[in-house]
Order: sequence, then C-alpha cells, then structure tokens
Amino acid sequence: MKTQDKIILKGRKVTGGVAEGEALVSKMPLMGWGNVDSKNGYTVERNHPLYEVPYKGKVLVFTEPRGSGGFVGYGVSRQFGTQPAAFLYRKGNNLTIFAAMTMGVPSVTDFDKDPTEVIETGDWVKVNGDTGVVEVTKKKK
Amino acid sequence: MRLTDEEKGILNGSRGEIAARCMKYMVEYGEAAGAEKLIDLDGTVDLHPSGGSPGGYGVTGAELRELARKGERFKVPTFSDKCTAPSFIFDGWETCGVEPSNNPDFHKKMLDELQPLIDMGMVPTFSCNHYLVSSFWPALGTHSAWVESSAIPYVNAVLGSRSNFDGNFQTAYLGKAPYYDMHITENRAATVLVKCETPLTKDTDYDLFGWAVGEALGLKVPAFTGIGRPNTTQLVKMNSALNTAGQVRMYHIPGQTPEAPTLEAAFQGKKPKEKLSITKADLKKAYDIMNYGASDAVDFVSLGCPFYNIEEIRHTADLLRGKKVKVRTWIMTNTITFKAAEMAGYRKTIDDSGAMLLSGACPGLLVGVVMPPHDYPNVVAMDACKQDFYITGHCHPHKVQVRYGTREECIDAAITGKFKGEWR
Repeated sequence: MKTQDKIILKGRKVTGGVAEGEALVSKMPLMGWGNVDSKNGYTVERNHPLYEVPYKGKVLVFTEPRGSGGFVGYGVSRQFGTQPAAFLYRKGNNLTIFAAMTMGVPSVTDFDKDPTEVIETGDWVKVNGDTGVVEVTKKKK
Repeated sequence: MRLTDEEKGILNGSRGEIAARCMKYMVEYGEAAGAEKLIDLDGTVDLHPSGGSPGGYGVTGAELRELARKGERFKVPTFSDKCTAPSFIFDGWETCGVEPSNNPDFHKKMLDELQPLIDMGMVPTFSCNHYLVSSFWPALGTHSAWVESSAIPYVNAVLGSRSNFDGNFQTAYLGKAPYYDMHITENRAATVLVKCETPLTKDTDYDLFGWAVGEALGLKVPAFTGIGRPNTTQLVKMNSALNTAGQVRMYHIPGQTPEAPTLEAAFQGKKPKEKLSITKADLKKAYDIMNYGASDAVDFVSLGCPFYNIEEIRHTADLLRGKKVKVRTWIMTNTITFKAAEMAGYRKTIDDSGAMLLSGACPGLLVGVVMPPHDYPNVVAMDACKQDFYITGHCHPHKVQVRYGTREECIDAAITGKFKGEWR
C-alpha cells in the first residue's frame, strides 16, 4: 500500500485543544449575522460556494472574516451542537477570535502557508491548537 | 500577556467576582489575539446592550441590577448601539404591526432590562451610528472600544480614535481592551493606494464604491484618491459597505481624514504595497450583486441602513409630502434624531403619507420579520448594500428578492408599488 504524504502547516494558536476531521474549505471570506445559520450550522450567504453546506464536525478552513460582529454566529453553533471540529483561517481579527472563543474548538491562524491553498475539501486534517501545528493528509484522488 | 499589578489584582478578585470574570475574559481574548498587554481606554465605548460576551464570560440581568444598585459606573463614556437578540423598536413600536415589537408587555420588559445599563452610564442612543448624535466624541489618538461594523471605520478613519471591533460590557466596565491591531500606530498605515477612476456623485455611489473596495481588500488599510469630499451621509454609507463586503476597519482620505494630512502621511512614509483602481464597471458589478431577483412588484421599502440622519429624513419627508405610499415603508433612525424629526414636523409628513418613521431597530435586527403580524417580505427596495446583502440571509429559507436604488427610486417604488430604478 502506498503511504500517503502528509503536509505540515505551522500557525499561531488562537484557542487550544486537539481535534481532527475532514476539511471543508472556503476560498471566499465567511460572513456572519443574518448570513450564518447557527442552528443548522451552515452559511446562508447568497451566492456563496458553501451555501447550506454543513460544517458540523468538519475542520472549517477559510480565508478571512467579513462583515458584522454577528460573525460570532459561527461560534454560537456550539449551542446547537452543529459547531465545526476546528477553525482554521488565513487572517482574522476579533471577529474570528470571538467566534473561536464561543465555539470552544481548536483554532489556528497566521500560518506559514496559506491554508486555503494547501488544504482542499475532503482532506483529513489533525489540528493541535496548543502548538499551532496542523497535519494534512491529502484525500485519495 | 503582561498584566499590571492592578490588573492582576482584579483578576484575583480585588474588585469583586464580576470584575474578575471580566478580566478573565480580557486575558483569554488578549492571548487569543496575541496582544502583549491591555490598554486603558481614554476614548469611548459603543456596545450592543446585553451582558453577553464571547466565551461564556457574560453577566446576568440580576448581576447587572445588583451592580447598578451598588452605584457601579462604566469607566469611560459609553453609548448604546442597537439591542440585538431580541431587538426592539424604541419609537413607533405601537403602530409597527409586527410581533413582538408591538406588544406593550414586551416593550416594557425590554426597557426594564436596559435600565441597569443606563444607570451604570450607558447613554440610550440605541443606534448603529450613535456617533452622529452622541454629543461626545473620542479625541484623535485616544483608545476606544466600539462595536457595529459600520461604526468601526468611523471611529478609526474619520475620528482618529483607535478601536478594534470589541466594545462590550467588559470593555466598558473595566475601561480596558487588549492592545493589538488597530490600537498600534503601524497597523493604521495605509498599504493599498486606491484610485477611483469614476466620479462618485450620488450617495449610493459611495455605498457601491465601499462594496467594491471591501470585497477587493478584506482586512487591508487603503488610502483613497479620486473620491471627492464625501459628506456625512456618504461617509456613513461607504463605511457600512466597506465593512460588510470586507473587513476594512481603517482607511485614509488624504486631506480629509485626521491621520492623513497628506498622501505620504497616510502610508506613514512607506511606499504602497498594492495599487487598486475602481472603475465604473466595478460599481456596476456591485450594483448587480445588490439587485437580487427580477420582480419589480415591491411589497416592502426599507430606508435607514445605517440609521438615517436628520438630513436624510428631511429629504425623505420632502419626497413623501402630499403623497400616499402603496406599500409598507419603514424609515429608520436613532432615538435622538427621531425627536428632532418630530420637532421639525418631518415625522408628521412621513406619517401622513402612510410610511413609518421608527427608531432603535432595523429589519436586520428583527431578523427579516417586518410584515404583520410576523412575516417576511417578498420583494424589498432599499438603498443600502449592507442591509441588502444580509436581508436574504435573515429571511432564509424564505426567498426574498431585493431591489437596490437611490432614495428617490425607493420612495417612488413606495408610492407606485413598482420599482423602476436603473443603473446610473
């Protein structure tokens, strides 16, 4: 059996903990408030590639946040048990921090490589929020 | 993160359990942000009134009442943004027709819950743009903690007070915020030179320009050339779009905004890392995003995102004078401008037309429920990119169409029931 290559990304801890799961990647920014459905655990932003795609249990990887402070809605998913397994983003600000704090899952940012370029939807991703190390196993093509 | 002895004391309970909890929040937040320390705020706080905070450090209503009873006060001048979850209409609720806003018991309950915060010093502006009516501004170079996407560029770019997007009970109660991002001088320098290649004349041109730039730049700090001298209405509209399509917290207009007397100052003496041109085609692209759906049979007209200022209300009243609206029409403002509109007679003119002047809430905060008694609209006309792009999410899974246009086009749609707006 062929050994699958692993890719290591090194980033900065936002919130700690260890988790793994299948990646769900957005190359577009995510927006909260009315455009996130915390209960069902998906974005409802019109025309968004992840429109109504559930992030529950996934390692949610995206570029940047945009819009309202209601971005925390991604974190509020925890109240409904629909939160992602981990929260990885290229660049953020207090919108992403507040979402991560509320979500209570490992979160890492400011990587040595753009996570939305390295990680593809369906890859298996192990996240160590404490060390900021993310291990990516590419899905079989 | 480094804490002072005073801050360590608060963390260990020197100011009581609630202050200790607020400090724990501040430490967890600051460390997640990579902040080296906390900064004492010497500007103002803008907060969504509730005791909530990220990460479960919130305070309960009973705790707020106890703090107020003991005479505790916020550390810095603090202004109320709109109430979120639940939201409520401050003025005009009696006839708004939607539940639960029109319920007297609900209204009283909301006011009762807000009173302890007001007793602690929160000024009851209930506004996404409290800064237009607060009668008190943070000075240039001070540190503030504001909230509300459309307000953040105003405090940073227009007033020159330094704020992240973190105004809440904790920042007001402790008078502190983590020192990172927009608080640090170097992070406020422009890195992108944006040249607008098309004249911006209408208020909505600034809205569309803000959308085009926000989408292109995300978290970056731009300096704008070629946008003329935007007035208050235009700045507020542009800011709200900049921080909806992207996360532009800070920008410079050389010769107009206080941290950029010159173009060189905007970049703090460095060279631009990027250049961006915004053309008429970019504005048209944003316009097409905003016009979502094909029906022109409008059943709701929504004006006042961000809340209309007195000049916008005056103009709206002029457009409605002697006319009758055919469809439900809301014009939203803050509590203080509402009073001014009453004094000036604009409210009566609006009332006489069948449109409604309301304060304190908006269709977004009412999660799309604007049709009596508790329903969504089908085709909405509005003049704001921000509200336009959120309303489809608020109403989801109900499908709502949005027609975007100028104030004149929206009022015409209100009077005729048919949206006839056109590009430029």
